[in-house]
Amino acid sequence: MLSQSFHLSDQELLLWADGEVSSKRAAGIRRHLNGCWMCRARMTELEHAIGDFVQVYRRELDVKLPPVEGPRALLKARLAERAGATPAGAHRWFRQAGVAGAVAALLLVTAIAWRMVPHADRASLAGAIPNVNLTPGATNPIGIQDVCSASFSSNDPAVPDDLKREVWREYGLRDGAANAYEIDYLVTPQLGGATNIRNLWPQPSRHTVWNARVKDALEDRLRNMVCSGQIDLATAQREISRDWVAAYKKYFNSRFE
Amino acid sequence: MADEPIDSALDIRLLAAAASAKRGRRGPEEEITELFEQWRGALLRYLSTFGLPPHDGEEIVQEVFLALYSHLRQDKARTNLRGWLFRVAHNLGLKRRIAERRANGVAADVDNLPHPALNPEEELASSQRQRRLSSILHALPEQDRRCLYLRAEGLRYREIAEVLGMSLGSISASLARSLARFQRADER
Repeated sequence: MLSQSFHLSDQELLLWADGEVSSKRAAGIRRHLNGCWMCRARMTELEHAIGDFVQVYRRELDVKLPPVEGPRALLKARLAERAGATPAGAHRWFRQAGVAGAVAALLLVTAIAWRMVPHADRASLAGAIPNVNLTPGATNPIGIQDVCSASFSSNDPAVPDDLKREVWREYGLRDGAANAYEIDYLVTPQLGGATNIRNLWPQPSRHTVWNARVKDALEDRLRNMVCSGQIDLATAQREISRDWVAAYKKYFNSRFE
Repeated sequence: MADEPIDSALDIRLLAAAASAKRGRRGPEEEITELFEQWRGALLRYLSTFGLPPHDGEEIVQEVFLALYSHLRQDKARTNLRGWLFRVAHNLGLKRRIAERRANGVAADVDNLPHPALNPEEELASSQRQRRLSSILHALPEQDRRCLYLRAEGLRYREIAEVLGMSLGSISASLARSLARFQRADER
């Protein structure tokens, strides 16, 4: 039995507020609080302190999240890959279905995999990497001081409409394809990429794994690495223009194929 | 310490029940994607407290949900998925931080939580009390700070204890200690 001759500790109050004491103890604490102004006031102080702290935390760390589409697409593709690699409960099912059924199922799975896997590969990489003959990448003469200067714009300059139309034509696309693609720099201007047809290509904007948002993440990573001296600018330009998907896997340590 | 079983996460039970009800109609991939959309922001915010670059945080969140996928496919416990997600994110965040610091030649136990400087407008808007709390927060030992971060993300003490691998008593003691520091600063 709790009496009013002593007060509850902060620890007890916190655990009680979180439902972490037994019902018998909780009843005792409630009775004590009913009769003890000091402990009631202390409980209110604790709640206010936590509320104030939550405000500080949110204010300092409420990171501006990049859009969810890119990461979600990447996760979906990785899940699809895993789903294909290790069907759930397969072993148990095979035991129950018997040999004939298992062989038939294997044949069916093999047939489906044979048909599906190349399509999946094509779908995930279609258009993600530009045609190297049309878009080998082109850069401006630029130094690390420019790339890493605080005043250097982090936004790619807009591509003029007539240049965009040239890129559409070069890749055999009509202007109407603009909904599914965006004209993107292969070597980002943040790393010295030039506004030149040899450095521009129509990149799928959504619904694929290797999309513009994923490439943006790589560009930010490479720029940070250049500016922190981990790699040189020429290497960053070469890696992104040669095969940016391979560069992403390398610099994000991603095992996704 | 409680001496009877406590149901510590009603919202998580509801979440699991809703997910379970839909499981018959949807594949596990869809379920994982839905949970990803729901928790990505909170996990990224928590991971940012490890001082990792945002892209590393994003990559870790992907790893967390791939691990959840394996977890659910093995028909493991669905109770308290929130605590599970934070626990995996916490462990991966620690691991990544140690690896990055080794690569950069920084001692692994040095805590370099970003403490962004406020611009003049923010300075003006920020109450003195908030700034004082912020200073105290950054002076707390890392484990005490993590208790507060996880509490701010809505985790219950029992869940925080699981994430940090501490006892429930240690968590409440840590919080009481931090709140006492806040109070002492208020009295000055």
